[in-house]
Amino acid sequence: MKTDLSPRMKVALYGLMCVLLIPFVFPTWWMLTSSVKPISDIFAFPPDLWPRRFDFSTYARVFELQPFARQYWNSAYIAALVTGGTMIISSMAGYAFARIKFPFSNAIFMVVLLGLLIPSEVTIVPLFQMFLKWGMINTHWPLILVPIFGAPSVFATFVMRQFFIALPVELEEAARVDGLGRFKIFWLIALPLAKPALGAVAIFTFLHSWNLYLEPIVFLSSTQMFTLPQALTQFTDAYGGAMWNIQLAAATMTAIPVLLVFIVAQKQFVEGLAHTGLKG
Amino acid sequence: MAPVTLKSITKSYGTTPVLHGIDIDIADGEFVVLVGPSGCGKSTLLRMIAGLETVTGGDISIGARVVNDLEPKDRDIAMVFQNYALYPHMTVATNMGFSLEHRGAGKAEIAERVNWAADILGLRPLLDRYPRQLSGGQRQRVAMGRAIVRNPQVFLFDEPLSNLDAKLRVVMRGEIKGLHQRLGVTTVYVTHDQVEAMTMADKIVVMNGGRVEQVGAPLDLYDRPANLFVAGFIGSPAMNAIAGRITADGFMAGDVTLPLPPGVSRADNAVYGIRPEHLSLAAAGVPAIVKLVEPMGSETQVTLTLGEHTVIGVFRERLKSQPGETVHLQPDLTAIHLFDATTGGRLN
Amino acid sequence: MTIAADTPRRKRPFWTIERRDAAAGYAFIAPQLIGIVTFVLFPLGLVFYYSLHEWNVLANTFNYVGAANYQMLLADKALPQVLLSSAVFSAGLVVLNMSLALLLAVLLDQKLKGITLFRTLFFSPVVVSLVAWTIVWSFLLQNNGGINGLLQLIGVEGPNWLRTPTTAMISVIVVQVFKNVGLNMILFLAALQGVPRELYEAARVDGAGRFKQFRRITLPLISPTILLTSIITIVGSLQVFAQIAVLTQGGPGMTTTVLVYYLYQQAFQFHFFGYGSTLSILLFVIVALLTFVQWQMRKRIVFYEN
Ligand SMILES: Nc1ncnc2c1ncn2[C@@H]1O[C@H](COP(=O)(O)OP(=O)(O)OP(=O)(O)O)[C@@H](O)[C@H]1O
Ligand SMILES: [Mg+2]
Repeated sequence: MKTDLSPRMKVALYGLMCVLLIPFVFPTWWMLTSSVKPISDIFAFPPDLWPRRFDFSTYARVFELQPFARQYWNSAYIAALVTGGTMIISSMAGYAFARIKFPFSNAIFMVVLLGLLIPSEVTIVPLFQMFLKWGMINTHWPLILVPIFGAPSVFATFVMRQFFIALPVELEEAARVDGLGRFKIFWLIALPLAKPALGAVAIFTFLHSWNLYLEPIVFLSSTQMFTLPQALTQFTDAYGGAMWNIQLAAATMTAIPVLLVFIVAQKQFVEGLAHTGLKG
Repeated sequence: MAPVTLKSITKSYGTTPVLHGIDIDIADGEFVVLVGPSGCGKSTLLRMIAGLETVTGGDISIGARVVNDLEPKDRDIAMVFQNYALYPHMTVATNMGFSLEHRGAGKAEIAERVNWAADILGLRPLLDRYPRQLSGGQRQRVAMGRAIVRNPQVFLFDEPLSNLDAKLRVVMRGEIKGLHQRLGVTTVYVTHDQVEAMTMADKIVVMNGGRVEQVGAPLDLYDRPANLFVAGFIGSPAMNAIAGRITADGFMAGDVTLPLPPGVSRADNAVYGIRPEHLSLAAAGVPAIVKLVEPMGSETQVTLTLGEHTVIGVFRERLKSQPGETVHLQPDLTAIHLFDATTGGRLN
Repeated sequence: MTIAADTPRRKRPFWTIERRDAAAGYAFIAPQLIGIVTFVLFPLGLVFYYSLHEWNVLANTFNYVGAANYQMLLADKALPQVLLSSAVFSAGLVVLNMSLALLLAVLLDQKLKGITLFRTLFFSPVVVSLVAWTIVWSFLLQNNGGINGLLQLIGVEGPNWLRTPTTAMISVIVVQVFKNVGLNMILFLAALQGVPRELYEAARVDGAGRFKQFRRITLPLISPTILLTSIITIVGSLQVFAQIAVLTQGGPGMTTTVLVYYLYQQAFQFHFFGYGSTLSILLFVIVALLTFVQWQMRKRIVFYEN
């Protein structure tokens, strides 16, 4: 409904949006500022929107209390592998389901879609047993393999398939006449044109892996192996109470890099998501 | 360059037959146009020659080889698609050189061939652009460039001009024809525009409902259509067709009698065909009432009522007739086509 | 005319174009298919198999007990509360999430300067690490935390959010809504922008006001998106775990113990793998049922499909 709005209407809309923004923006702000407050100021009344005293030692403490750099690396490389793996596997499968004629393709697609109904929460018990048998408990394998092949990658396959269905067939036929085989058509023609969909898949998959919580606490037991979400909850004092400022410093370090990447690339981000084929 | 032979080609999608036994011989270097109404199977046939559709029955040969089971890339053909199918993520030069690149040509050779094609088509200044930066006509030229760089045995075109405006279509028509004369490559060209067919073809194949109705040189088809379908399809405005009886006194259509050339045998169930330009106005002749006069500048098109039939006449003169006026028509007796009304076959 | 019969039958090669293509197709889907079978379908079978066994790792027992676990499920006194919590959580989440997402999308669809900045900010929690986001909220919702501090400034005594049954559930829902509503917002925005403008113009000519345009044109046209996002949101809401674990640990009492959290406790804290598997089956049935029902409903709620 893009009609031109009256000035009064505009002011009202801006006001409404600013109020609505508070719960979206304030927590991040509060996290940032509280992470540099000394512990004594953390619950000060009235609340300080800007720290009255700064204590940057919280950031150093994060690394003293936990092998935080190591944990950071764990999360980062796992998310990277999951994202890369999912992009490869689901773009290939999505392409085949959209474009290649082979017997039972529809039936197989239905079977694959079943994966959407079976999140890893449902299968966590047998997955634990399987990985136990394979000697992969307290390794990162479960965190890599399950998302690459489970529900998140099925979702990705679905997104890719929707995209490839809409790609003009003539392009591929031209490529066939030009002398390309299936794989080269996929690699040189279809995939380069699928960048928006691939972007969406990458975002979804990365965030999924980056946020995983149940799987790491089930599969991992040593702090060296922990991923960030798990590590964040470990900053407690001897009595189990949260060391808020240190925990928030760790949370800030976890959140801010992704947030910055998002802000820089937000256009591609949002447009990628809008391309997921969920528009109906 | 190679001849193309289609022998008893059939095609079915699932259990639905779309082509019912097509036989066409295309000589080396010939420009053949497939025409027919929408859905008659032209594209299907062309795509079968290209290898983009599988062959249900019969044999397709290019040169001496039966190519039924060969991949498109092994058939040594090039195709120009209706929507051009240029790779959006590659420049014009890359688009044109793409097929050579994948046939293992060296960089220098690719550049040389691309430049050669670009010169022929006037694409030199556009080589570094992307398809989205080109006009429709330029894209069309790039698509042709992509086809010619490889110097294939056969060119295949599927309605390449249908996305262009009328004026550009005429220009490109000339260019394609010129290109064919220059390169002499066997060409199969699909269109549903009979003007394109008439002006470009060495040989026209008229198709209808998955069958070939007639094959022949454009003017042969125009002058001696083998059946009512071809008669109605080739020529614009279409040939007038009047149902009636052939008798010794002339052609009886209701209470109208039309003159016949001498020596035609009688038939009770016939169709009288006469092209609009083969009607002329005379002091005496078949009376008809003017219904609509459309001056075109170079000629005048008149819709007339002839008994219960409506006919169209095209006259060189500028007529001043008014609707409702009665005129007298004189058919050219050497240009009368007679058909059997039930089979549609030609009688004279 | 040549007759097909008098041309000698050529021997067709084994690798016809169709066969080669089919082989390529299978090769392309093979990794996904093998993965699904290994890491999804096979475990699903195993879950069912385990659910027929009494299995305690600590006691090292694994006995076939038939439907005993399912009877236990029916007799489980905690389960009604767990299902209720799950239902309240999912229902609250979906309703809040969808309506807020729609409201935001409509706002962002307006012609206003700087709208991209607003879009970016509303979306930003989606990319903030889930546990980090939850920890901040947990911090904010402490009895002496930021929210109650701010409330006190305006003279309101806030509750102990995470330790009071109703407010604990509300908190868990709201934290999750703000985290993820940006996703649906973007999908709705894309759908809104896909509605042809002529339709609005036509409606305006017909004298329909803003609200009526929204009801009669916008909603029907974006209903496919609403359906798909609601399915995704519901299925997602049933998987919520980290938020509960960090904010309330299922408490106070069991008021925020949703099914996945309960399952986790039974299987991995109490080591009842057999009963945990039975709960997994229950979770699967619920997810499948909800998806199926919503899919069936699409004929009624989706006014338009292209
Ligand atoms: N993939 C397909 N599956 C089933 N039927 C098809 C398929 N492709 C084409 N057909 C049918 O085959 C017939 C011939 O189609 P074709 O595209 O060859 O027609 P055409 O002569 O090129 O028409 P047009 O001038 O409209 O392009 C049509 O009736 C069409 O419905
Ligand atoms: Mg066609």
